[in-house]
Amino acid sequence: MTLTRRTLLASATVAAMIAGAVAPAAAQDEVTLTIANTQWLDALRGEKLWASVKKFEESHPNIKLEQHTISRNEFNDRLITEMGARQGPDIIIAQDNLFFTLIGADFLIPLDDVTEGVENLNATNDNAVVDGTRYGIGWHRAVYALIFNKSILEKTGADLPTDVDGLIAAAKAANEATGAIGFTGRHSMNEFSPWSQDFLNWAYGYGVELVDDDGNITFDTPEMAQAFEAFKEVYGSGIMPIGDQMSTQRTRFKEQQVAFSIDNSGGSLNIATGGPLPGTDLGSAALPFPNPGAHQQIFLGVNVWSSEEEQAAAKEFLSWLISEEGQLSLRAASGPDALATDVPVTEEFVTANPWATTFAEMAESSRSTLIPGYEMETQSIMRPLMNGLEKVLLNAATTEDALSEAQAEIDADYSN
Amino acid sequence: MTSPLLFRGRLLPRLVPYAFVAVPLAYMTLFVFGPLIQQVWMSFTDTRLMNPTAGDYIGLENYQDLFSDSQFYTSLNITIVYTILTVVIGVLVGTISAVALDRPFKGRAILRTVMLFGWAVPSVAATLVWLWIFNGQSGVASDITEALGLGRVPWLTSVDWALTSIMFVTIWQVAPFVMLVMMAALQSVPEEVREAARIDGADALNVFRNVTLPCIMPTMQVVALLVAVWSIRRFEVIYLLTGGGPIGSTSTLVVQLRLTAFEDFELGLASAYGVVGLILALLVASIHFLVERRRALVMLK
Repeated sequence: MTLTRRTLLASATVAAMIAGAVAPAAAQDEVTLTIANTQWLDALRGEKLWASVKKFEESHPNIKLEQHTISRNEFNDRLITEMGARQGPDIIIAQDNLFFTLIGADFLIPLDDVTEGVENLNATNDNAVVDGTRYGIGWHRAVYALIFNKSILEKTGADLPTDVDGLIAAAKAANEATGAIGFTGRHSMNEFSPWSQDFLNWAYGYGVELVDDDGNITFDTPEMAQAFEAFKEVYGSGIMPIGDQMSTQRTRFKEQQVAFSIDNSGGSLNIATGGPLPGTDLGSAALPFPNPGAHQQIFLGVNVWSSEEEQAAAKEFLSWLISEEGQLSLRAASGPDALATDVPVTEEFVTANPWATTFAEMAESSRSTLIPGYEMETQSIMRPLMNGLEKVLLNAATTEDALSEAQAEIDADYSN
Repeated sequence: MTSPLLFRGRLLPRLVPYAFVAVPLAYMTLFVFGPLIQQVWMSFTDTRLMNPTAGDYIGLENYQDLFSDSQFYTSLNITIVYTILTVVIGVLVGTISAVALDRPFKGRAILRTVMLFGWAVPSVAATLVWLWIFNGQSGVASDITEALGLGRVPWLTSVDWALTSIMFVTIWQVAPFVMLVMMAALQSVPEEVREAARIDGADALNVFRNVTLPCIMPTMQVVALLVAVWSIRRFEVIYLLTGGGPIGSTSTLVVQLRLTAFEDFELGLASAYGVVGLILALLVASIHFLVERRRALVMLK
């Protein structure tokens, strides 16, 4: 048979029609859900977390889970861009500041039907309810504490610090005795979003209330000035590796080159896993401030742009995740982080990681990094404050001037 | 049937040039002009990143906001300084390297390869390496200054050093490209003209100034134009090394654009930043074409 153009065109049309008729039928049988989470890329922990959620497929063979991997640095930008373009992953696992931005943009669907009748959800889920509608379910709550290398501390003979002066003295002693870096923590606008969350430990630690009784944002307060001064004292004391990003600092800690750090439970688990520093050699203590610190909350939400079929499958997944089976599976990979229900860490984990108990204690009094009443704008509001702190650290402004400037800027935009 | 007419007649040969132009034109329309027009339009709207298809026309409001914001002038100033210094030093270093490597000598091939390294390595990977080199605690750069008795330098964390460090990395990346292009240009300089100048008693400097330089000047101008436009829109080096800090001291227009779009979610205002960048680039291009036209007129005379 001679292949003419007409024959080819007719064959192609028939093939396309057959493919079009068959494809939807095949798709109905199986749904693939994409899940975005920066933690998938974490060394070791990422694999364990993924394995824990993949157990869902055993009881739901018609739903396949796929990772939507985006690195931590570009997670917010890419996710917002994708969802702004009416695309993106089906399930989003994101920190509270981003999560509330997504709620504000109507990018997440209500999940009240997922939690209906579920009695054992704990307080970590409370913040995901906006105006009576639930948009998220708790994934992890990561609390902060002061962590330290026990061996280094023993060699210095210093006491465990309970205030900033003690921290500086102990860190200097550790450096002199062992050559280790004294203290690590985020300190640069290069890491604006996580640094602004970390800094709230210092702010809350000195008693800062970010909003007054009338709902006005209050940056220019004596407590905030104390927090600025304390951070500057540590920054300028020579105990910090200025310029190092947190990922580098954590690697250094893992390599037993750091004496102290203020980090959250997720970061601490990273440090204590898969490196030369055994979990039993990592110590933890309350933050060296007069008041309790902060916690980061990570939520799960479902993309409004996913198809109805995908949204239904995503809800099935969330229902499974908050079931006993799902929570136990997630617990095994989550270290000491609080989950959506109160699933205690195993004895085996605590024995291998005695540092974890302090984080559980800290969780009882820690505060959210979201600004009450301004949850959706928190990230934007924190920028002038952190700009001010950077100026103070680099001696480009006094604490008084920096706070006054930040307050004026915020008043201009948000004053009631 | 139309094919006999098409093939036998003279229509097809006439259409061929248009067909050749149509492909790149379609590409440019789809990927360059289309987005460009959309960006300019967006700068007159209150479009937000969360809902990029739903912006309302607000006239010149974004430009009013832009011109009343002190950070805009800081960013504009940084962009201009960064661009000028990158072009001047980058083209100078690249041209000197090309002239030095133009004549054969032992090990020239190896040296050429080594010097192309900065251009050949992917920008992000190279920048991350520089991030380590400039590390205050354990970076090689500070080890060197310390060994020289100058102490450790806060390359990326001090307002005084951050822009200089970024320019150094940029020039390290740009100069090899300039060198490569200038080496090609040097090949086209007629050897007999240089020889004639030497016979007339010109020394090496005079040969370069009066024979080589006029021959390679048009290429140098084109390369300067390219480097200038790249510098105006360069993002990854600055963002990865300093993120625009400390205290906004390295926040060029593009870095500010990213912040406005992705942290403040104001796509309309970010587009206005983009339009200013575009005008800057067009300004540089017009200067180039003006100089080029003037030279053509001189040549005609």
